[in-house]
Amino acid sequence: MGDLLGNLALGFSTALSIQNILLCFTGCLVGTLIGVLPGVGPIATIAMLLPLTFKVDPTGALIMLAGIYYGAQYGGSTTAILVNIPGEATSVVTVLDGHQMAKQGRAGVALGTAAIGSFIAGSVATVFIAALGKPLTELALLFGPAEYFSLMVLGLAFAVVLARGSVLKAVAVIFLGLLLSTVGTDLETGEERLTFGIPDLADGIDFAVLAMGIFGFAEILRNLENPETRDVVRGAIGRLLPSKEDLKRSLAPIARGTGLGAILGILPGNGAVLGPFASYTLEKKIAKDPSRFGKGAIEGVAGPEAANNAGAQTAFIPLLTLGIPPNAVMALMVGAMTIHGVIPGPQVMTKNPSLFWGMIASMWIGNLMLLIINLPLVGLWVRLLKVPYRLMFPAILLFCCIGIYSINNNPGDVIMTAFFGLAGYALYKFGFEPAPLLLGFVLGKLMEETFRQAMVISRGSFMTFVERPLSGALLAITAAILVIAVLPNVRKRREEAFQE
Amino acid sequence: MTVKSPQEVAAGLFLIVVAAIGLWQGAELAAGSLNQMGPGMLPRALSVILVVLGGALALDGFLEKGAGLERWHVRGPVFILGAAVVFGLLVRPVGLAIAGPVAVLLGAMADKGTKFVETLVFGVILTAFCVGLFKYALGLPIPVAPWLLGY
Repeated sequence: MGDLLGNLALGFSTALSIQNILLCFTGCLVGTLIGVLPGVGPIATIAMLLPLTFKVDPTGALIMLAGIYYGAQYGGSTTAILVNIPGEATSVVTVLDGHQMAKQGRAGVALGTAAIGSFIAGSVATVFIAALGKPLTELALLFGPAEYFSLMVLGLAFAVVLARGSVLKAVAVIFLGLLLSTVGTDLETGEERLTFGIPDLADGIDFAVLAMGIFGFAEILRNLENPETRDVVRGAIGRLLPSKEDLKRSLAPIARGTGLGAILGILPGNGAVLGPFASYTLEKKIAKDPSRFGKGAIEGVAGPEAANNAGAQTAFIPLLTLGIPPNAVMALMVGAMTIHGVIPGPQVMTKNPSLFWGMIASMWIGNLMLLIINLPLVGLWVRLLKVPYRLMFPAILLFCCIGIYSINNNPGDVIMTAFFGLAGYALYKFGFEPAPLLLGFVLGKLMEETFRQAMVISRGSFMTFVERPLSGALLAITAAILVIAVLPNVRKRREEAFQE
Repeated sequence: MTVKSPQEVAAGLFLIVVAAIGLWQGAELAAGSLNQMGPGMLPRALSVILVVLGGALALDGFLEKGAGLERWHVRGPVFILGAAVVFGLLVRPVGLAIAGPVAVLLGAMADKGTKFVETLVFGVILTAFCVGLFKYALGLPIPVAPWLLGY
């Protein structure tokens, strides 16, 4: 306990320098600004804004990136409440009751509750990360290549279960991501693989390029095809601060949402997405009058928003302790860390404690910033959302181009992004989900490395993955999850859950 | 046998084509042995798995009723992705000052309702804002107008 406090104190002394506070503030502000734009989720936002952090020292850069991430998350919720379209997967649930509240003239209260809920969830999650960081880092020491490999297999299995649509398609799209990850120079022999002789591909496909293509560009194409059904709240936003009655109704959902989100967020394979859904279902189940849900129930905003933010934060745990990114956003964080010479994993905490704890402390400060920035700026976001899409999408396009160019100062990257935009469009037309592909791509390189190491150690025996107890246990869980996912009645319920 | 879900069949064929490209590009790489894996083993193994999955998906499309083929639009992809390609080609030789408005104008044509003058003015203002932000405020080394300013 004393350890924890000492570490947090170190963190706050790092995060509270004037430079780092400013970076955190700027990150939250621009993150929200871009994240509010409809159809621009956290992945595209971070890829676009990554170059903003290049001139800063590693600690400051990560603090700023984390700020951008929270800003983008919160921006998505703002769009969900004010407009009837969710900015990203995790705010789908917020649309249900948040937009109804907005229609009833209570947009302000919905936004305020979302901000307060997120802040409480963020504060709890920060302590959670700080407390779990050390034991999990020690756990990482028990992990050999076989265990790492099996853990990542488990992560991908989660991604299959969490994807919408057919299980077969989700599995296929993950393998597609894995195949894409093998493009580039082979780590052991230095031979070029699947590069088509294109020099830009020798280092492999840049993650930001792939993500921006299939999330940023393809999203613009999708939005252009679906005629605009934006229904920006007209009329008053109303008061922002929830009344006593509202608070009383929201506090318990916030607490439950925080718990659910924090636990699900740790799961590899983007468990954070599940948090808001789980919270909404739970609140509806235990409510005295479930019929209020979908008609502007404040619990339906408070709980999922808290779960959303808690999960967004605890998703850092696998990255910081094991070095495994659990979702696409965290993979971008890996990219950013590598650019700054920090290799994520258990060694960060011991080798660079001020960076590790500074980032954790800045998470809390970032949440506070969001509360401070967003409440007074709501009017600005409303005005921004009223800009017609015919002007908005060329602007998003230009930001994407500049962002991608600036990551490596390579014009070829922009052209490659356009190619992946087309690929993302094709995936959409064929009914594939892009998120599992990105996760497969992200984990692919790490998986290949650990797989090959494990095979060398075991002298070519597959049994090593099953014989080693920890690895075997992880694979057993994986098998159980996959079996459950294809069981007919679970399959039906899963479809129903996504329908809701 | 009739196709019951054109989308599934098309998706399966798409996977098979991608896997075939993977097999073709990886044909010359040594596979090695499990003990000492070569660079070609994983790409080949993954491609084969994709062929199997693609085949299963296509077969499923013959057996189970499902979604039809979606209509592919031409206008959106051509102008949006074209704008990005043109931006990539122009940014080094003529700089952001030209590449910016050109990309905005070209991209905006993806939407039928675009008005030329409005978009041009908007593109110029937006580019000026980006130059101010990315070049001057953040100091990113993106060329602005090499033909005029020398950088």
